[in-house]
Amino acid sequence: MTLALLLLALGTFLLRFLPWRGERRVPAGQAGPALVVALFLVSAFSPPPSPEWLRAGLALLGTYLGLRLTGNLGVAVFLGAGLYGLLGALGF
Amino acid sequence: MKEGLQAAWPIALGYFPVAVAFGALGAQAGLGYLWIQLTSLLVFAGASQFALVGLLAQGVPPLLAATLGLLLNLRHAFYGPALRPYLKGGPLEAFLLTDEVFALALRALPGLPPGERRGYFLGLGLGAYLSWNLGTFLGALGGQGLLAWPGVGEALAFALPALFLLLALPHLKNPAALLAGGAALALHLLGQTAWGLFLAGVIGFLWPGKGGRP
Repeated sequence: MTLALLLLALGTFLLRFLPWRGERRVPAGQAGPALVVALFLVSAFSPPPSPEWLRAGLALLGTYLGLRLTGNLGVAVFLGAGLYGLLGALGF
Repeated sequence: MKEGLQAAWPIALGYFPVAVAFGALGAQAGLGYLWIQLTSLLVFAGASQFALVGLLAQGVPPLLAATLGLLLNLRHAFYGPALRPYLKGGPLEAFLLTDEVFALALRALPGLPPGERRGYFLGLGLGAYLSWNLGTFLGALGGQGLLAWPGVGEALAFALPALFLLLALPHLKNPAALLAGGAALALHLLGQTAWGLFLAGVIGFLWPGKGGRP
């Protein structure tokens, strides 16, 4: 079991390290923006489609408005997370 | 480094409850406290850690469980090349390169003077790492009661999608990002989240243009 843990740790590290370290300057194309948008969509909307998506959507709208109003990333995240929890506590 | 640590708090906020859940899951599966903590200390990749513990608890052979966990992390191979224009990746930087650290770094690094980028990145990664390991520690020791207040645990966990939204905003008019995101979401809804994210990385990597500039 410990060997499995070490294998996962080493493999994960190499997946992160080797392509970054690589001497060959392979252009990354649009990998950065593509992955950021993909990570957002995947993290925000859990399968299957459900009313839960509406709650997430409202909380994301609150996050966006928080950024527009305050200009602060951290405060906007805190507002969005708080709104999500509040909607849940209200049985939304 | 101080600025990076300060910028890490939205990530830390989101990591904490997830890490508590991971620690609790490991304890419930009968794994030792030290082993659970070592997983967070050495792997530092949430989804694959959950997979490893879940599979081991179901009796899957350890090496197969580790291999399946590695498949979940394939997308990480795309992060370094996307950051390379702004920061050279040493071993410590690579170790700290999670989804959230990557996304926040991609947004922040281009606007920083080259001499400040490494310190900022390390601060960002360290803040995330400390939160992840503190949460694991408390969860393994039975601290999941911390999150027992109605809505608190899930609210904190929602910090991560909220953060990703803000980091994705500059890219929502980028056709490559939209196509990749749509493909990832489609596979995610079919239960293939890891492959969806990997496909998004492939689409973005193959799409011509200046990569990674927010």
